[in-house]
Amino acid sequence: MKKSTKFASVLMAGTMLIGCFAGCGKSPADTTPTPAGSAGGSSADTQLLLGGIGPLTGDYANYGTSVRNGAKQAVEEINAAGGVNGFEFVLDFQDSQGDPDSAVSAYGKLMDSGMDVSLGGTFSGENQSVVAAAKEDGILLLTPSASAKASIEGNDCAFRVCFNDPAQGTASADYIADNGLATKVAVFYGSDNDYCVGLYETFAAECAVKGIEVVEVQSFTDGTNTDFSTQINTIRDSGAELVFLPIYAAEASTFLTQAAGKLDVPYFGCDGLDGILTKVSDTALVEGVMMLTPFAADDPSELVQAFVGSYTTAHGAVPDQFAADGYDAVYAVKSALEKTGITPETKDDTFNAQMVAAMTEISVSGVTGTMTWTADGETSKAATAMIIKDGVSVVYTGK
Amino acid sequence: MTQLIQTLISGLSLGSIYALIALGYTMVYGIAKLLNFAHGDVIMIGAYAVIVVVFSANLPALVAVFVSVLVCALLGVTIEFLAYKPLRGAPPLSVLITAIGVSYFLQNAALLIFGSEQKAFPAIINLPTLKIGAIEIDGITLATLATTAVIMLSLTLFINKTRMGKAMRAVSEDTGAAELMGISVNRTITLTFAIGSALAAAASIFYGAAYVYIKPTTGAMPGIKAFTAAVFGGIGSIPGAMLGGIILGLIEQMSKTYISTLWADAIVFGVLVLVLVVKPTGLLGKRISEKV
Repeated sequence: MKKSTKFASVLMAGTMLIGCFAGCGKSPADTTPTPAGSAGGSSADTQLLLGGIGPLTGDYANYGTSVRNGAKQAVEEINAAGGVNGFEFVLDFQDSQGDPDSAVSAYGKLMDSGMDVSLGGTFSGENQSVVAAAKEDGILLLTPSASAKASIEGNDCAFRVCFNDPAQGTASADYIADNGLATKVAVFYGSDNDYCVGLYETFAAECAVKGIEVVEVQSFTDGTNTDFSTQINTIRDSGAELVFLPIYAAEASTFLTQAAGKLDVPYFGCDGLDGILTKVSDTALVEGVMMLTPFAADDPSELVQAFVGSYTTAHGAVPDQFAADGYDAVYAVKSALEKTGITPETKDDTFNAQMVAAMTEISVSGVTGTMTWTADGETSKAATAMIIKDGVSVVYTGK
Repeated sequence: MTQLIQTLISGLSLGSIYALIALGYTMVYGIAKLLNFAHGDVIMIGAYAVIVVVFSANLPALVAVFVSVLVCALLGVTIEFLAYKPLRGAPPLSVLITAIGVSYFLQNAALLIFGSEQKAFPAIINLPTLKIGAIEIDGITLATLATTAVIMLSLTLFINKTRMGKAMRAVSEDTGAAELMGISVNRTITLTFAIGSALAAAASIFYGAAYVYIKPTTGAMPGIKAFTAAVFGGIGSIPGAMLGGIILGLIEQMSKTYISTLWADAIVFGVLVLVLVVKPTGLLGKRISEKV
């Protein structure tokens, strides 16, 4: 008995260690290649191979799938309209399960199949490792959705379609201050997630500038994301007039469900909250939740409605932010290719350099706004605040 | 003061769930000397069973509870039969690795069947919130506390007063001698797995009711915490598992409220290390010296 108890204690220590690792990073997973669209190399000269990487299976499959579907949609539209400069776009989207290491192997695999333009990784972590791996190849890398500041740094050929995290945090604080939504706010964020931390830090900094008082900051980690009762009680006692939620929809739906009946304040989030309507058990729970996002599926503009219409028909779901980012990324590639004027006949070793150079010269009117790019890879576009009313998200038009 | 009481209540509620899960760990360990790491994932399966019965089959909540308990008990027995029984007598490490394998198998099977998107757990416990002054106690919390107390009491009675309970204790104390006395060791172990897994189903219902969203990985963290609780209370000891679970829940919620949400887990595991250093058998664990 004594022996076995000792054995149990040793095991316990081991388990805790494993628990720590599990808390730090996403669980490692093997790459399960699931090529989307027409797979295979760009052997034919007229094919332009776009390579995407993201989680298509596993815990975060919804994000990668959205990006892939959005990109696929754009590729199909472009090919149906006759392609670009004589090129036919081909999309090969590899599964990474959200794991940075798998993303790098997926990148290598795509390069072996002759990828011409990389759509980077879906998540910041994935993209960061892909950006580092892609540095020597000089290939144009345009990530739809990796928003962490560092995720495109250190590679002059890397660009992104979405906002970076600091920009979102700052814009949120500005929006709250400029519209007089609150003067005392609480923040609830995931302290082990780059996206959440980046947003929280810049939000807090901008709040200090704008005279908004951050009265309470509560957090959680990947391992403690089920029970938020103590955090909710503390926020309630803090007298905050608004809660800023720079987190993802999964945790936000847990938070809002547990806060129902306890907290009666408006909630404000960023693009991470995208898709919350489909995740929450009862849409009444998210009534009045606001989010700052460059893409709104109910935006009346013709471009957005056309995209939403065809996407919904093809995939049976309303496109979210990630799908829109994927869609715009492919159109940005198209625009850059048009700018260079390269045709299958004139395509040579300078292709990558020409494409990268074109990125800073183009202006793309996409479903997430009109975008131009700076040399450091950042885009500038306007963000709209959305509010959830009667179970659908609509553009926020003031109090 | 209100905050303190509120924290104590949420700690008790969380602790009771841990205790229910820890009972499964401790019973199986006490009798089969096996750490069933798949136990946490049985909870996840139990929760999905409720979701399927209520949302897909549109049956009432009571049926869902019954089905969930049945599914978990059957699953527990099946796991024992397929994965652990062939390894009886094998070194503990082989059995342990098998347990981890079963855990991964269950998680990935759920991922395949139900997808990675979280699913909402139906509101099957609809009790009014109890208000005493400024203190609010959820109906779910009350139900959790009451049911856990009843389950623990009946389990203690079962182990101490019935013939089957006596058989379990006998197998736990000395498997060889128990077998010589005519006790069917295999049947006793199967029964232990059935009871432990049925308790996991109970835990899954309260867990789902309190935290609403279920994912294929839902069982992992509560499983590890409950295992901690079982070791904390003295693995193999049933009152120890209850005590360990409750104390763990209280420490976790208290550190979240008064110290930091970031440090809660570190404090929980830190206390465990301290207890094991001072008392290696856990709080209520018996120290039995090995006879040569």
